[in-house]
Amino acid sequence: MKRGLWYKATVRDRNGKVLSCENRRSRSMLGNWYRILYAHMASTSTSLVHTSGNSWGVINFGDNWKFVAAANEDYIGIVIGTGVAAVTIDDYKLESQIMQGTGSGQMRHLASTPSWPSVAGSSCDFLTSRTFLNNSGGPITVRESGIYCRVKGPTYYGYACIVRDVLATPQDVPDGGSITIDYTLRITA
Amino acid sequence: MTEEQDKRIERTAIEALSSEARLSYKVEVTDRDGRVVQREEGPSHSYVRQWNEILHLQATAIYIGGGGTVKMTDGSTESNAYYSVRSFASNAGIGVDRSGLRVGKDSTPVSINDYALGAPIAHGTGLDQLEHQLTYFTSPVVAGPTLSFTIQRSFVNHSGATISGIQEIGNYIEFTGSMLGRVALGFRDVLGSSFNIPDGGAITVTYTLKVTA
Repeated sequence: MKRGLWYKATVRDRNGKVLSCENRRSRSMLGNWYRILYAHMASTSTSLVHTSGNSWGVINFGDNWKFVAAANEDYIGIVIGTGVAAVTIDDYKLESQIMQGTGSGQMRHLASTPSWPSVAGSSCDFLTSRTFLNNSGGPITVRESGIYCRVKGPTYYGYACIVRDVLATPQDVPDGGSITIDYTLRITA
Repeated sequence: MTEEQDKRIERTAIEALSSEARLSYKVEVTDRDGRVVQREEGPSHSYVRQWNEILHLQATAIYIGGGGTVKMTDGSTESNAYYSVRSFASNAGIGVDRSGLRVGKDSTPVSINDYALGAPIAHGTGLDQLEHQLTYFTSPVVAGPTLSFTIQRSFVNHSGATISGIQEIGNYIEFTGSMLGRVALGFRDVLGSSFNIPDGGAITVTYTLKVTA
């Protein structure tokens, strides 16, 4: 394999002790990743459904693919959810997203900044990670993760889901604990 | 079946099992009458580091002065690389050999640090030159769990003699800029055999980008 995406989900308790860790090949970049790539490679526009559900499309534009996320932003960057529906090529959002907050079923979204790609041997890795804190007062089970990025259609700005995975093992995050999701895009010559 | 064909089938089977995002190529040489005289297809060997670096410019929205560095096809480094409408642009026009699909004569194995073809063929009708045609794309198509699109370019030999020894193909992608970007190598492949293009003939390179959920 010359190019692939991997994820790692690490759950910690309130003291930072690792409770569980799942490290697997990502099930899927979605069709939207390649629709944006097509728009850029061909310098054109094409159809794409935004996370809002609107068919606003995508046009080559500077902001496309941006998924660096600030704290509290749950509409961009790595996102998590509780859905278990199998991944399909045309998924345009998580099935059931866990939103930003400290209420029931909510988690605090920390900032996420992708690191500059690193070369080691014949591989080049591009890592992005994000941590979510559970201050909801009860346990939350995370079952899906993905990446939302900025995207612009011919008329409207929006966000697109470009990666989605259903975790092989549901990850129980205790109150006061956290889950960190790492995505690594690796190319190997 | 040759040993090379065996290896290619095995390689394809391994990729099918382990990879959901695939890049593959097809190369065809036609004579002056359009007859296919040589052909090869297989999984692409490699994206190179600039692909991830340009994706990083986009993902983190690195702006002018943000310290983005990407090595260009001329060997120099752009140290003010930033996110741009031109990132990954490969839609080179007729006669344009600074970007888009390229062919060359070098057979050095692909390295993650490759920044250009080893010996790219220039546009023209002179000795060892090929006329670079328009780059064509097919729109993304979904079939079952798979989405794919293609990029294709032909190179016509009007040099007056056979051009032999074509052994590498690749894509020069743009980055940084609004109208005309800088250019970096995105992916490169060394072919399994050496291709010869008769005078009046052409070589056509097609890459298919595919993702399966």
